[in-house]
Amino acid sequence: MMMFAYLLASGITTGALYALVALGITVVYKATKSVNFAHGDLFMIGGFIAYTFHVMWGLPYVVSLLLAVGAGFAIGAAAERIAFRRLREQGLVSILLATIGLSFILKGTARAVWGGKGDFIPFPPLANPRPISFGGILLVPQQLIVLAGALAVMAIFAAFFKFTKLGRMMQATADNAKAAKLVGIPVNRVYVYTFAIGTAIACSAAVLMAPITLLYPDIGFVLFIKSFAGAVLGGLTSIPGAVVGGLLIGLIEAMSGGYISTNVQDVSSYIVIMFVLVFMPQGLFGGAVLRRV
Amino acid sequence: MLTVGKTIVAIGTLLAGAALAFNQAHAQDIPGVAKDEIRIGSFGSLTGPTYLYGKLTMNGVEAVFAKVNEQGGVNGRKLVLVREDDRCDPATAIAAVKKLVFEEKVFAIIGGGCSNATLGARPEIIKDQIPFVVFASVADGITEPVAKEIYSTMTTSSIESRSQVQYAVDKGAKKIAVVSQHDAWGQSRYEPLMAELKKRNITPVVDLEMTVDDNDATVQALKIASSGADAIIMVLYAKPGAVLIRALNKLGQNPVLIAQTAIADPVAFTKEVAIPDATDKFVTPSAVRYTPTDPEVKEWVERVKKMFPNDELSIFNLMGIGSAQVLVAALKAAGPDLTRDKLLAALAHIKVDTDTYAGTIVCNDPVSHQCNQTPAWIKAAGDKAEVVGVTKLN
Repeated sequence: MMMFAYLLASGITTGALYALVALGITVVYKATKSVNFAHGDLFMIGGFIAYTFHVMWGLPYVVSLLLAVGAGFAIGAAAERIAFRRLREQGLVSILLATIGLSFILKGTARAVWGGKGDFIPFPPLANPRPISFGGILLVPQQLIVLAGALAVMAIFAAFFKFTKLGRMMQATADNAKAAKLVGIPVNRVYVYTFAIGTAIACSAAVLMAPITLLYPDIGFVLFIKSFAGAVLGGLTSIPGAVVGGLLIGLIEAMSGGYISTNVQDVSSYIVIMFVLVFMPQGLFGGAVLRRV
Repeated sequence: MLTVGKTIVAIGTLLAGAALAFNQAHAQDIPGVAKDEIRIGSFGSLTGPTYLYGKLTMNGVEAVFAKVNEQGGVNGRKLVLVREDDRCDPATAIAAVKKLVFEEKVFAIIGGGCSNATLGARPEIIKDQIPFVVFASVADGITEPVAKEIYSTMTTSSIESRSQVQYAVDKGAKKIAVVSQHDAWGQSRYEPLMAELKKRNITPVVDLEMTVDDNDATVQALKIASSGADAIIMVLYAKPGAVLIRALNKLGQNPVLIAQTAIADPVAFTKEVAIPDATDKFVTPSAVRYTPTDPEVKEWVERVKKMFPNDELSIFNLMGIGSAQVLVAALKAAGPDLTRDKLLAALAHIKVDTDTYAGTIVCNDPVSHQCNQTPAWIKAAGDKAEVVGVTKLN
């Protein structure tokens, strides 16, 4: 029972981060119908930007988080404006290739700017790293901060989507871009905000995660794949689905490692992607797959 | 008419001139060997995140060459180092060896940073029959099966793995856990590690896997805690290693932690773990006995610092120094009438103590060309790394 409780806590913490990244993937996918393969690397850049503000410049953590989120917002907007807008008319493959290209550019930039400081860069913990006991379960305060931060970002995002005009415009555009344009929604501007917000969410996840891991330029890809598995599990077009999917991937990883073998822990998310794509392509929360006739 | 004395002087002069001309012609025949210099090539990573394996090690080599040259060179010839960047990439390493051999016409090579790149270059080195001393790469496949051209002064991966077991046994460990990466790098260490454990009739209490991208090791820490392991053999990079130790600390576990040279700097690693006391029982092997802060290597460190003021000081500098001293000893033993065969013959049974390696470098041709069988164990002590022991394998 004790082992189950530990695995649950570990799975939820990791899953919350996957959920945040999956949220960004889903937001962009809903709007563009294209998977942003650079999303993991945008996450990575967010972590390094926060490292610059917090560790190199000595700014407080919360300020660094806000600045990294702001920088992520600007990078996402610039990427949409510079790279993706021109390609939108040329089909999904072009956008897909552009996201892969952006991924390499971001990795190269990180190596050039933050490279040469060692293989892995530590980000100082926010709280005392000594564990504290919750009903006999030992948790490090950092875990709780990550979890609380992830939930807060999700709540803010949900409120933004539901209660703001821009959020509703984003939903309308995602549902039907042509109809949205007809009723006067500035679709191009909405796309800019979509990429910007998706990237900002990725950056917030990176800043929350940085103190519990180490930063390195290749950190983004695997995190992207696992979060993508979460987004696919959730239906890829569903915001609540991305959150639930991300959390489930975290839990599946922890439980499979704990109760089956550590050898399957890492591949469990890949197995989930395959399973969902083959047997349940609409995911847990996605709509039925429609076919144009 | 010549007197007898003048005749003797004339004949002597003629003979001396002939000998000199022969010597020069001979020197011109041997690639990289001139009357007054020996060109030695080096390849390794000079750029990118793995530059420390190549560039910093080469800096150590160059420091030795500079000192030897100040003292008159090797049998009157100055040593010249020619560097090539392999960018840690096998294809680039092959091109680098070809360039060194055919364009730069070096006499021998000292180098090899990233194992995969050096493994890639091995067939080219054998084909070109150029003497090669490995200074940093650890993969066993570089020196096994034995090739007459290749000798390693680095502790290889299987030597590290065997030493990990020996260290655990020496520390009195009764329950040994293994946590390893199962990628190509990890597998090349995991297999000899498990073979060594089997040879000693030791069954690990748990045998767990991590990947380099893992951000949480609660699962592994729980299994280690429930196994009661008192020593953990880690076949992990620094990132998963740090994640594992954080998770162990969370569960109040404090076993002996035995790493491999993928975590070469225990001080930097302690900072990465970032939990006070969590790395108190952490040790990692090192091919060299000292760290750059030790007074025993002060002279060398100052020399490197002076020659390369913009490069950081590292344990890799010391590895380069030790390896270069072995090469210089072999070059001296090969004599003034230098050929590649003579250098290889000198390397074949060389036995030399250096200023930096933990033990005597002994090459035992044709049984083994892995000449460094004595890793030191280092741990963090504040901002310094300190040597806590040496393991001599039989």
